[in-house]
Amino acid sequence: MTTERESDQLLVERVQAGDQKAFDLLVSKYQRRLMRLVSRLVHDPAEAEDVVQETFIKAYRALRHFRGDSAFYTWLYRIGINTAKNYLVTQGRRAPTSTETDAEGAEGFDDADSLRDINTPESMLASKQIAHTVNAAMEALPLELRTAIVLREIEGLSYEEISEVMACPIGTVRSRIFRAREVIADKLRPLLEFPVDKRR
Amino acid sequence: MDTNETLRAHISALVDGELPQADVELALAALQEKDGKQAWDRYHLIRDALRATPAPDLSPGFAERLAARLAQSQSQVPSGGAGTDDGGTGDSGSATGVAAPGSLTASLANPGAA
Repeated sequence: MTTERESDQLLVERVQAGDQKAFDLLVSKYQRRLMRLVSRLVHDPAEAEDVVQETFIKAYRALRHFRGDSAFYTWLYRIGINTAKNYLVTQGRRAPTSTETDAEGAEGFDDADSLRDINTPESMLASKQIAHTVNAAMEALPLELRTAIVLREIEGLSYEEISEVMACPIGTVRSRIFRAREVIADKLRPLLEFPVDKRR
Repeated sequence: MDTNETLRAHISALVDGELPQADVELALAALQEKDGKQAWDRYHLIRDALRATPAPDLSPGFAERLAARLAQSQSQVPSGGAGTDDGGTGDSGSATGVAAPGSLTASLANPGAA
């Protein structure tokens, strides 16, 4: 039985031998996962899709140099993240600073205030508020923290895999994920310490 | 980093199954305290909220457009030539030249040409 990594490597070797259809199979397998990752970094869906397309093109061109030292998907994610970063730079955008993080987080709470007035069952409202607050806090995170926590929580990568993707030590991965969680948890605190039914 | 923060960092790694064995006892003891239990609860709440958030779908025909672009770029690249010869960093140091939204459909080549 082959592992996922081995089956990817088989397809990679076929691509390296000139079989473009094998690359189509890798695209089909990874396009949604890559979109899920990139759309957390580049928020406009059309722009995120362009970054995904560019990532696959860069990967295809660079594949002749891929030796399989790492898993194909960690290599692909690394290209995707670098392509997204470069895209943000060329668009004149940058990751928010920690000061902006606080400011944007505060904006999120204005929205949360308005959500409290929506007349829905309170448990649903609480869930919506939590989801809204978590996602608003995520968007305001510095890019390195956001990337680390997305790779862990959404893509399910191990710290070792994330260190490969982000080209940093495992200790840095651990620290980035912790710091991301702390920032998000801090934004959640008002919602959790003063639940909906006790606020009015 | 103060003691509580260090313990929460251990709990964060424990949540991920990535805490070194040597620190596990310390983290488990911290989970008996209010601050530790609260961190554990909130980290899992964040995980659940993130995983429940749907990602945007790719537009219909994405794979076909990509195949067409690959075929087109292949026909333009001299054999043994260009590409990101970065050995896997994914970053050749240049701006990526990501196409503007909507520009991709204007350059469809025959996908079977490769």
